[in-house]
Amino acid sequence: MPPFTLLFLLIPPLLGVLLVQLVSAERPTLVRALAVVGPAVQLLLALLCWRLPTPALHLSWLPKLGLSFDLALDGLSLPLLLLTALITALAILASPADQSRPRLFHSLLLATNLGVAGAFLARNGLLFLFCFELVLIPTTLLVAIWGGANRASAAIRFIMYGAVSGLTLLAAVLSLGWYGTGGFNLSYASLAASALPPSAQGAILLLLLLAFGLKLPVFPLHGWQPLTYAEAPIPVVMMLGGVVSKLGAYGLLRFGVGFLPDAWTAWSPWIAAAGAISAVYGALNAIAQSDIRRLMAYSSLGHMGLLVLGLSAATPLSLQGAVAQMLAHGMIVALLFACVGLIERKTGTTAIPELSGLMNPLRGLPFTMGMLLLAMMAAAGIPGLAGFPAELLVFEGSWTTFPRATLVSLIASGFTAVYAIRLFNRVGFGRLDNDRADWTSTCWSERAPAMALTLLVIGAGLWPTALTGWSETESTDLAVRSQPFLSSAVPPPETLAASGSTLVAATLPATSELRTS
Amino acid sequence: MTPPTATAPEPVAAPLIPPSSHRYADVIHRLEAGGSMLPDTPENLMQIIGIYKAYAVPMDFYWRDLLYIAEQVFLDPLPAFKYFPSQEYLDLPNSYAGDQSKLRIWRGGEKAHPELLEFMEKGETGKMSKLLHHLWHDRINMEFAEACMEAMLWHQGMGGRFYDYLDSDAYRANADRAIKAYFRGNPLMLGLYALFPEMFMEQVKKMSYYANLGLFWEVMAPVFFEMSDIYDEGGFKGVPDAMNFLVNGIFAVAGRPIYHHVYIKGECFEIIPKSAGFTWLYEAALPYVEAVFYRTAPFRGTKSYNAQAYQVPSDQADFHYGILYADVFPVGSAGIPPTLLMQDMLHFLPPYLEELYKQHKRGDEDKLIQLGITFQRSMYNVTSAVIQALRCALLYPLDDTDPEHLMANRRFFEAQMDRFLRPEARLPQIQTQDYR
Repeated sequence: MPPFTLLFLLIPPLLGVLLVQLVSAERPTLVRALAVVGPAVQLLLALLCWRLPTPALHLSWLPKLGLSFDLALDGLSLPLLLLTALITALAILASPADQSRPRLFHSLLLATNLGVAGAFLARNGLLFLFCFELVLIPTTLLVAIWGGANRASAAIRFIMYGAVSGLTLLAAVLSLGWYGTGGFNLSYASLAASALPPSAQGAILLLLLLAFGLKLPVFPLHGWQPLTYAEAPIPVVMMLGGVVSKLGAYGLLRFGVGFLPDAWTAWSPWIAAAGAISAVYGALNAIAQSDIRRLMAYSSLGHMGLLVLGLSAATPLSLQGAVAQMLAHGMIVALLFACVGLIERKTGTTAIPELSGLMNPLRGLPFTMGMLLLAMMAAAGIPGLAGFPAELLVFEGSWTTFPRATLVSLIASGFTAVYAIRLFNRVGFGRLDNDRADWTSTCWSERAPAMALTLLVIGAGLWPTALTGWSETESTDLAVRSQPFLSSAVPPPETLAASGSTLVAATLPATSELRTS
Repeated sequence: MTPPTATAPEPVAAPLIPPSSHRYADVIHRLEAGGSMLPDTPENLMQIIGIYKAYAVPMDFYWRDLLYIAEQVFLDPLPAFKYFPSQEYLDLPNSYAGDQSKLRIWRGGEKAHPELLEFMEKGETGKMSKLLHHLWHDRINMEFAEACMEAMLWHQGMGGRFYDYLDSDAYRANADRAIKAYFRGNPLMLGLYALFPEMFMEQVKKMSYYANLGLFWEVMAPVFFEMSDIYDEGGFKGVPDAMNFLVNGIFAVAGRPIYHHVYIKGECFEIIPKSAGFTWLYEAALPYVEAVFYRTAPFRGTKSYNAQAYQVPSDQADFHYGILYADVFPVGSAGIPPTLLMQDMLHFLPPYLEELYKQHKRGDEDKLIQLGITFQRSMYNVTSAVIQALRCALLYPLDDTDPEHLMANRRFFEAQMDRFLRPEARLPQIQTQDYR
């Protein structure tokens, strides 16, 4: 495959934006159908890139600023790109058939996709920052225009946190360039090769933790999340929880673990503590919520805590688990919100005290509730579903490094079952309100996005390599960087990514190079 | 404002008693005017007649199989084939319907209803053996009929002398003869009977209730069939007409005997002989209405309860889980008696009800619930007929001119309506067509 193929990965959403403008806003279903073409083509192209080797693309953009259009795919970015394309397509399909201002709505969703996909493809720090910032604008507009009753405050809070995140990331990226030993070069290869002094590494890592911690989010930087998840339209929450939050995790992995290994190793106990606290805080708050959306928001916060724990340990297994957790969580949280969206669309509320008996076989929403139950089971790490292999790898990989934090996170993970059962008991069982249960059942087209995600969650649970295989080589390399003593002990594994192509680590240095440097 | 050219309205006679101040005053005034608890609307009439017909077909199976179990299966310790009534019982002519009947009151009734026989042959799935239909659960749900029987057995003392008779020496002697005859040559069962006589006696009592309910429904099935036929012929003008047909039917068969005969090796054992004098109205109809319409039991899946928190009354007479109080929304849950009945009726809905259900709520998807609510309406009408029949038997005519008599009627109606003051009662809901 020629290098320009990577550029084509960014073109479908752009074309999609143009395409939907050609259709009348009076035909929202047609707009939706055209909008979904972009991410669908992107998904196909990404799959093509997986099967056929695609070398990195280098295009000069603003060399004086250190900005170049460097794109590449490896075992870290490819699965996340696939996830982005998939979740975008399903989020578009999950939008209501009578979506108001459909052209703008879907254009902004596609713009979000463009930003996230660009960030995953980027091999230049400034380009990553550019894409990272690009995401903030459409998502804020989506919340501000189509959000719920408190959309204004949600949007303001979202953009404030997002702006702080962007500014600190800007400072971090510029610092990486300024302190870099090879001049002001922001390409990943150069940043990885730079040997920064420990003090500089510490300061930059602090900025990165703030920037990406806000995006994930992680305790105590999560202030925007519950309100935004409660107010944003469901497709937007699917995007935010499913892929946008993964930018934070990916950033920590790529920049923190990858470029600042010494500082990461030094700070990792604190990062692990933050992950464990997030896991407990998120789970306990989820138990206390009386709104399903907010419950899901805190649930997501808790699971991000597990992800951070995996990153902090930075062992081959824990990093592999962290990537798997990104993918699993992306699918699970999108499925959860797709189901919540169906419940909200039919019943008109997500307030737990107002809902009961939704498992009622004829007048309830038994199909939707069945998928919700499966999603909650997946989030709780029930074997056979996507959450299990991811969480197992995170715990197993982190145990040797941070046993206490792992134990705390394990207990927090168990709390998922508590709020899942509590939610299901109150919303699914009990008496269906005879006066209010006047809604129609969900049709197959409405169920389709959630059903597709359900199949993927089951599929990934039964074939965990689909989650773990992509990143085996990269996570081993990164772990070796932070813990060099492992380099002699770990043989190069056969990976899913490697088996498909030579896409592995075109821009990251190989283990052998590290040993000699 | 009345236009000047309008003719003067006819003078209306002043009521002899003041209006009721009961919460259900409107319903009471309607009953006093000879109406039903169910408002008189064309749609209500259509709904109740349609569901009577859909109910009558499975009921035609219920009564035959109930009698088959009571008279033939009897104490079989492994009654695996009790839902397979013999051809003799399927061909059993109805005692009160058809030209062959010496006591003919209603039409039809020579054999089992043709729609029932067709369903038994084909079911939902298609033609296959009876056993496969049974195992696939593509059949009439006799479990519902047994649940009704068990409600009568369990609640027991609800008027009439039937319950007391089951403890009499005469009944025990007859039952003892039947038990010994049934297990003749079976030392194991006879030994068990010697050790645990009450256990066997309890089983015979249960069989007597099988017979009781079978004989009750033998009457009701042709009543409902004929109501459907009359409606199709344009015979009923409104809900009160349908109710009065039921009242007349109740009086027509009120005195018919309730008995329990068992056939063992060709010999008939009269466990409850006809000469005991038990009648259809007092020993079957009224206990049935009380046990099934009002009381029953909080079926799992239809009612959440906690007996330790006193959410279930300690006095059985306070039970209120019958169809007049039931939340029909859980219908569709697997295996519960309400679902079983609605599923039975679903197979025999007249086309006009099918069409009606398609137009409302989720159409075909929630037909079981819609027909369940129709059934609830229809049973309020049947209960109205029973209330009017009781008023007729015990009190005064509705057109009586003595205010004291009218007040006695009023007190009776108000006492009946008091039973629907509890929040679970669906009487307020059925007053509008919005409840579906």
